[in-house]
Amino acid sequence: MSTTTIDRLRDTELSYRATLAGGALSVFLLIALLGLAFPSSIWGNFLAILTSRSTLSSALRLSVPITFAALGGIFSEKAGVVNIGLEGLLIISAFTAVITTAVVGPEMTVVGLPAIWIGFFAGILSSVLFSALFAVVCIRFKADQIIAGLAVWLIALGLAPFAATVYYGGVNTDNLGTTLGTWTIPVLSDIPFFGAFFDADPAVYMMLVAVPASWYVLNRTAFGRHVRASGENPKALDTVGVDVSRVRYAGVLLSGFLAGIGGSALSLGLGQFVGNNQTMVNGKGFIAIVAYLFGNYNPIGAFGASFLFAGLEAAQIRLQQVPGYAIPDSLIQTIPYVTVLVILALVGRTRIPEAAGEHYDTGDDNR
Amino acid sequence: MSAAENAKAVLRRLTAASATERILISFAALIMAVLVGAVIILVSGRITTCQTAATTLFGTGFCYDPVEVYLVLFNGALGEPFLLNDPALFNPDWNPLNFGFALTLKETTLLIFTGLSVAVSFRAGLFNIGTQGQLVLGGLATALFSFFVAPLLPSGLVGGLILIPLAVVIGALVGGLYGAIPGALKAYADANEVITTIMLNFIAAQIAFVLVSEFFGNPDSQVVETTPIPDWATLLPVAFPQGGDFSILALAFGLALVVAVWFLLEQTSFGYDLRTSGEQPEAAEYGGVDAKRTTVTSMFLSGALGGMGGAIWVLMVMGKWQAGVPALGFDGITVSILAGNNPFGVVPAALLFGTLKSGSLAVQFGTGVPKQLVGVLRGLIILFVAMPEFFRMLGSTIDLEPDRETVATDGGRLGGDDE
Repeated sequence: MSTTTIDRLRDTELSYRATLAGGALSVFLLIALLGLAFPSSIWGNFLAILTSRSTLSSALRLSVPITFAALGGIFSEKAGVVNIGLEGLLIISAFTAVITTAVVGPEMTVVGLPAIWIGFFAGILSSVLFSALFAVVCIRFKADQIIAGLAVWLIALGLAPFAATVYYGGVNTDNLGTTLGTWTIPVLSDIPFFGAFFDADPAVYMMLVAVPASWYVLNRTAFGRHVRASGENPKALDTVGVDVSRVRYAGVLLSGFLAGIGGSALSLGLGQFVGNNQTMVNGKGFIAIVAYLFGNYNPIGAFGASFLFAGLEAAQIRLQQVPGYAIPDSLIQTIPYVTVLVILALVGRTRIPEAAGEHYDTGDDNR
Repeated sequence: MSAAENAKAVLRRLTAASATERILISFAALIMAVLVGAVIILVSGRITTCQTAATTLFGTGFCYDPVEVYLVLFNGALGEPFLLNDPALFNPDWNPLNFGFALTLKETTLLIFTGLSVAVSFRAGLFNIGTQGQLVLGGLATALFSFFVAPLLPSGLVGGLILIPLAVVIGALVGGLYGAIPGALKAYADANEVITTIMLNFIAAQIAFVLVSEFFGNPDSQVVETTPIPDWATLLPVAFPQGGDFSILALAFGLALVVAVWFLLEQTSFGYDLRTSGEQPEAAEYGGVDAKRTTVTSMFLSGALGGMGGAIWVLMVMGKWQAGVPALGFDGITVSILAGNNPFGVVPAALLFGTLKSGSLAVQFGTGVPKQLVGVLRGLIILFVAMPEFFRMLGSTIDLEPDRETVATDGGRLGGDDE
């Protein structure tokens, strides 16, 4: 592909994203205008929901699993392994976190660490182990990455309700009676609206650190350079003496680690794992993939997209509580999924890393 | 012309080289999944609590015995032809037309439809994960159509002969149109079909729920479901027991469809275009295949097969549409992958997976191991089929298999091995 074509592609991509961002903003402004003009109408309700602090705080909470899975997906795909199994990693970590806490005993403290945090780390560990399996299957055994990713998702989707039934006799776990709680920063949390940033789940703070940290690692460190080269031009990386397989393993394991944080935070934030149908994860792993595509593999952009999806979800939940209009809840619940679909259709032509999805053979036999 | 000839040659070599190997890989994957499943059964036997250990290994007691679980599974799926733990071994009261076997064939029949649906899309290089959503909406369309049209027709055999085929066609049409959406998104907006189909699964479930709970629900029922279709408009069990919900007519239709899909894929120019787009996209372009149109048509076809699966689920199993549709679409992925995406392979694969599904009920009843075990096996089978290289390495260490070219799993991303 010649440089001009790439440039033109980038331009179109940029204009796509600009149009979308502009579109979102104008919708918001329109609602604000209508809401201010007719405060007692449904538009007034919309405005009140969008500007309420509790919507912001639940949007932040809901964006945690999506954002962490998206960050994980970026590292994996940038390294050249398309990780469609993020959903599975979220499911397995969400379940392991709860069951570990329950087995240790929710009230217990081991070496100064409350059980719930042991559960949190156990959830991350389970996700890392699963991603290690995925990595071996894809890199050592050269499996088709999409199919292996689907397998990871379906195994987790089967295993979590199975294990829950073995232990609890039903696909849902019992409620732990405890959650991760909230960390409140004095003074700052008193700020109206934006105070929600300082009165939040511990995982929200982790997310706010992880997003810039991921950007830094990816764009400003040697490791990040290797990851990007491993996905774009593995041969060049090999030529300068870096082991491509090793970088890819690191990328996939990192995706397991990050998705694990998201999954643990999701279930421990509620104190329960729900295993009905698509489990409590309910497509968040797939939404995460769209989030990082929309964010063009930039951790900050991916966070923005995740926050947009989570914000829609939060607004949707609040909208169900508004009486006096006749849109069925189930229809409102489709809003985030439809939005994801529309966005994917509009940014579909994202340029994925050149060598993503392909195996890389070093040529020597010590693989 | 020459490009098309080239592509044809490539295709011929690909299929010839891989046919035996694929069957071997499917079997090996199945065995591996069963073995890993056994380990999972053992481990979960340590998590749960029981009065007496079912089995003891290395001085440790386990609540579940994997060998027993698998024996009960197959025995249950066949309607207990064997008396386990009895020297007589054979059950003198066994009748092939039994309830357990009817359940197995019911699952098999449904899985043939969803397996074919997935196979068609995978052969076209499209990962249609949306068979579930296509099945949900196709089934709903069938249920509503049958309910509203039934009063206009004479009841009885004549009405059934008119209504049932029409209802299946309606299901196929709706499923097909719903499948064409991600096809069009893929063709004209380059939107990844894995994600769009998964999103559309969620949307289909919600839309169907709203339609039934708000507009077309059964007013006499607490559950979200449509009013039942009259019996004469459903597929009633022939020969097999009533409760098994299995109609041999539906199975016959499924088998005819297998032949039809095979014919379409292998013997028509459309099938040739479809397969070439899946296996050699560049060659297909050079050969003059309209890639965009093929994508949309393939997805329509795949969705139509999924929608037919929904129609059969409604007409044969439920007699109405009810919320909480079983995950037949996801099982179809396993069936298709196990079958190497070959229409004829779908039949044994569906029978095998149908056996697992129906036997899991006997397992839950007989040994206490939850029936969700099948969900785990579903994923494990896909995982092992996806890594032929694993078995090749295994084979080469014990020096059975000569070196062969890597055969990529069908569907997209082909040519991934040559940089």
